[in-house]
Amino acid sequence: MNVAQQLVNGIVIGHAYALVAVGWTLLLGAARLVNFGHGQMYMIGAFVAWWVMAATGLPYWLAVVAAVLLGAALGAVMQRLFLRLTLSQDLVNLMIVTLGFGQALEGAAGLAFGPKPQTLASPFQEMSVHLGPVWFTVQDAILVGATILVFALLYLALHRSWLGAAVRMVAEDPRLTALGGFKVSRIYMGIFAFEGAAVAFAAALVAPRTPILTSMGFDQVVMTFVVVVLGGIGSVLGSYVAGLGIGLFTALFGALVSPAYTTAAVFALLIAAMVLRPGQLAASGSFAR
Amino acid sequence: MSARLEIADLRVAYGRAEAVAVDRLVVEPGTLSGIIGANGAGKSTLINAVANWSRAEPRVAGSVRLDGEELTGLSAEARVARGVQLVPEGRGVFLGLSVEENLTAVASAGSGRRAWSVADVYALFPRLRERRANLAGSLSGGERQMLAVGRALRMAPKLLLLDEPSIGLAPLLVSTLLSTIRDLVDDGLTVLLVEQNVHAAAEVTDVLHLIERGRLVAGGPVAVMRDDPRIVEAYLGANHG
Repeated sequence: MNVAQQLVNGIVIGHAYALVAVGWTLLLGAARLVNFGHGQMYMIGAFVAWWVMAATGLPYWLAVVAAVLLGAALGAVMQRLFLRLTLSQDLVNLMIVTLGFGQALEGAAGLAFGPKPQTLASPFQEMSVHLGPVWFTVQDAILVGATILVFALLYLALHRSWLGAAVRMVAEDPRLTALGGFKVSRIYMGIFAFEGAAVAFAAALVAPRTPILTSMGFDQVVMTFVVVVLGGIGSVLGSYVAGLGIGLFTALFGALVSPAYTTAAVFALLIAAMVLRPGQLAASGSFAR
Repeated sequence: MSARLEIADLRVAYGRAEAVAVDRLVVEPGTLSGIIGANGAGKSTLINAVANWSRAEPRVAGSVRLDGEELTGLSAEARVARGVQLVPEGRGVFLGLSVEENLTAVASAGSGRRAWSVADVYALFPRLRERRANLAGSLSGGERQMLAVGRALRMAPKLLLLDEPSIGLAPLLVSTLLSTIRDLVDDGLTVLLVEQNVHAAAEVTDVLHLIERGRLVAGGPVAVMRDDPRIVEAYLGANHG
């Protein structure tokens, strides 16, 4: 086994996990809300990018922009649809309706895009870099760089900007936030729009690595859930570290043991972490760290 | 000229239980009014209703006017924009934000009102300047109250509603904080203060209102109210004078 190559694969997969999870991390950390339609929003992001390229012939990077804009709009629409549930933080019902919303997205995508697997043809997926014993595609490098950039920008925005302070205020005490003159539902809408934009961005960058199917959403939501929980429910840096760690774990486990059992092994890891260090995983209000 | 605050036929209920029934309460501009009363009498419920803010879900009916403008139906943030600023009891600041962030992360004041700058607030409470980079969660109770008042001033209130600012503070801090608020009123601010500490409230207010079981049962200039037998017996007691 080429250990160095497996490490590179793990780093790339890990950054993909982290980028897919970043929107949910903010949603959970700031708004204490969940979105089990997250995976289907990933799928929609990938298919919208694919459709833009296939139907209009626009270049890949414009397809990425289109997917992000549509993702943001989808997130904002979700918040409007579930306004009462988001404001009352009714988590159980929100879980059910977002699951339903995801199923509706999947059905609509099946009708619109058909059952066939498609390929989101990024030109960077064809370019590869060989460095000594390892190789990766330019798409992989862009994915890793973009993930680091998104996490760094999110961290800075949360800590250095007025808007970030408003998000942290909502996370700590939404009622008190209203007394600062803020319309709290507007801040929630921004958080949902970010969640939608971030997962669509992730999809547009990650999806060129494998064929895309309209039924692929559920796998994404499962992995995102593991990353967010292991990262310490809603912690921004925690999700980055958790995504990277799980990526390395799956790559090495797949190479050393068996690729067939990686998902099961990741869940075993999650269960072990929940049993051994439950306090670390609790939602604590320190999400911005 | 209309009063700064005018409440008429205000009813606030939690579920079926009516918590507050106030037929009329008026606060004149540039005055410091106090609402005193026992625990659970409805003091907080009353001023929360003025701001249309609550941690519970009360039903509110009746009329609240600011400078003659009807506020009924406006959300808490819309009332903030018009100059009604509440500092709620207990937690009025964000513990996970720094002192300075607590002062900067506020919506801009409505047009025509000059908001306090962060420097103005530091000049008023120099202690906050020393702790500007600290998390509000690391402040003492007194410092948190200063910060909560400073944060409110940043939004240029026409009417500042203070809910038990003295709660949990050492006696010396209570009189320092209340005399600062008195100074602000002397400079033109209008304040409606809820206070359990009747002695302290009587020291600084112009007008006192006594609330019992949700109803205003007495009210008037503080000099008169000091000698009201209901207040002397129930709240000032043997310590009075």
